[in-house]
Amino acid sequence: MHGSSEAASAVLFGLNPMWVAAILFALTYVVVMTEKINRAIVSLLAAGLMIVLGILNQEAAIRGIDFNTIGLLIGMMLIVAITRQSGVFQFLAIWAAKKVDARPWGILVMISLVTAVTSALLDNVTTVLLVAPVTLLITEELRINPYPYLFAMIFSSNIGGTATLIGDPPNIMIGSATGLTFNDFAYNLAPVVFVIMAATLAPIYFIWGRHLRATPEDRQRVMQFNEHEAITDRRLLKQCLLVIGLVIAGFVFARFLGLEAATVAMTGAALLLLLANFGHDAEHQSKHVLDAFNEVEWITIFFFVGLFIVVHGVDGTGLLKLLADKMLALTGGDLSATAMVILWSSAILSAIIDNIPFVATMIPLIKAMAPSFGGPEGLMPLWWSLSLGACLGGNGTLIGASANLVVAGFAERAGQPIRFVQYTLMAFPIMLMSIAISMVYLYWRYL
Amino acid sequence: MKANIIMNPHPMTLRPTDTVATAADRILKHHLRHLPVVDEQGRYLGTFSVYSLLKLTLPKAVLDKHGLDNVSFVTESVEDLAQRLGRRRDEPVKNWLNIHEVARPDTHAMEVMLLMLHGRTTSVPVVNKTNNRLEGIISFWDVLEKLLGENS
Repeated sequence: MHGSSEAASAVLFGLNPMWVAAILFALTYVVVMTEKINRAIVSLLAAGLMIVLGILNQEAAIRGIDFNTIGLLIGMMLIVAITRQSGVFQFLAIWAAKKVDARPWGILVMISLVTAVTSALLDNVTTVLLVAPVTLLITEELRINPYPYLFAMIFSSNIGGTATLIGDPPNIMIGSATGLTFNDFAYNLAPVVFVIMAATLAPIYFIWGRHLRATPEDRQRVMQFNEHEAITDRRLLKQCLLVIGLVIAGFVFARFLGLEAATVAMTGAALLLLLANFGHDAEHQSKHVLDAFNEVEWITIFFFVGLFIVVHGVDGTGLLKLLADKMLALTGGDLSATAMVILWSSAILSAIIDNIPFVATMIPLIKAMAPSFGGPEGLMPLWWSLSLGACLGGNGTLIGASANLVVAGFAERAGQPIRFVQYTLMAFPIMLMSIAISMVYLYWRYL
Repeated sequence: MKANIIMNPHPMTLRPTDTVATAADRILKHHLRHLPVVDEQGRYLGTFSVYSLLKLTLPKAVLDKHGLDNVSFVTESVEDLAQRLGRRRDEPVKNWLNIHEVARPDTHAMEVMLLMLHGRTTSVPVVNKTNNRLEGIISFWDVLEKLLGENS
């Protein structure tokens, strides 16, 4: 724990720093939730106030920023920004639809799998931004309701993202804070993710899937799609696949190579920028590099930066240690009970609030429990509980994850709006089912 | 020279309840690109254009702001496309209006030309500022005629 040595010399007006930090922290949460003010503004302002009010000094604030998370996010966003131009995602979706002879239920399963796999390797929002338009085109050709497809897409993006270190921001943060690697995440989470994906498709089949019908003529039109034409730039595609392959290999061998995830992602991004711009004149390079940088979601990045400082400030006052002790007292210091509390509370809270600030808060809180469970090694089941709860909980409501809102936007504009209540009535129980499966898995494997 | 001198004061118009089929028929028959749509009081509501027809023919997944920007993999024939448009022929035009920047009767000629350039359109509706009535329409050809006519 970071002691009072990191705090600035004097807290303003002689107020109790723990209370000031707690109030600032709570206000940040509330204002972010209301969505009246852009979340990057809120978190940066709160971070600034933390320093101005003397909860921590600038040096401590900078130390609080997890640059491994920031670097990994920016690196992957740059790689995706360039790769998406190649048309490879449209190719994948069309190829998958044709593999099942354009049968409506087969397409739903295939699109879900493509979404899940892509979300496991890339950011969820980007994945649905790329897969949703092709899906809408296919359902329009088949003259069937796109709703079940978009519903399944939301679930698959959040479920697939749970499987890997880079799939979802909570995992990136957990991995970065604990040193858990890409392989650790894949080895510990991917097995249960497969089960949850299959289990999620079952209710979707019974509610919608078995009623989906398309005429042979309409299916024929989809079968005549030429997916190879979707690839707009073959040279770029090869470069992207090469770099993505290298980056994933880098993640897999990160521990062996002694590299952190951010180094792998940022170096990969730099290499791809080099390849894609090689041989072009200076003006062309400037434009393309700037275009790629503009695709980075700076709002998310600065939201993280501010949030890390706020949480670090709160952590430094000992408030999170206090909360951790309270939670341990509640569970009697029992590992299983603690894991279950973390799993279920993260799931339900992540369905309602943004899981990024929640996980940012939970990380130091769980770390503070290490002495009770025999050191950092003993915390492993708790990290998996947090990841499963926070990532899968996002499926519970339409506001549970940003990808949900992006899909809802497409649905709305396509004239098939996904209503909040209607979605929650279906999605919340399916989300609870996925958490129940996670619970069985955690008990079976770790507790 | 001002807009009210250049404009055609009796343009062909549509009512919001007219169907896509009616609009398409007029566009084709008279080789017009833009048809202003007015209500019973003659108030300007928007313009139904050849671009509206393109939008009606294309899939929604292409028109979305985050939609597909490449559909070269779709191999539909002209007959398929005709069917797409055919299915929408009975929709009212009011759902497919473009709201262009409009000129006022006293707008100067240079401003009208700038509206055309910025709006990437070849016709500018002239609308009364107080009651929003459509006074006429200025096509690129009207402007060109005046330009060349005055030079000669």
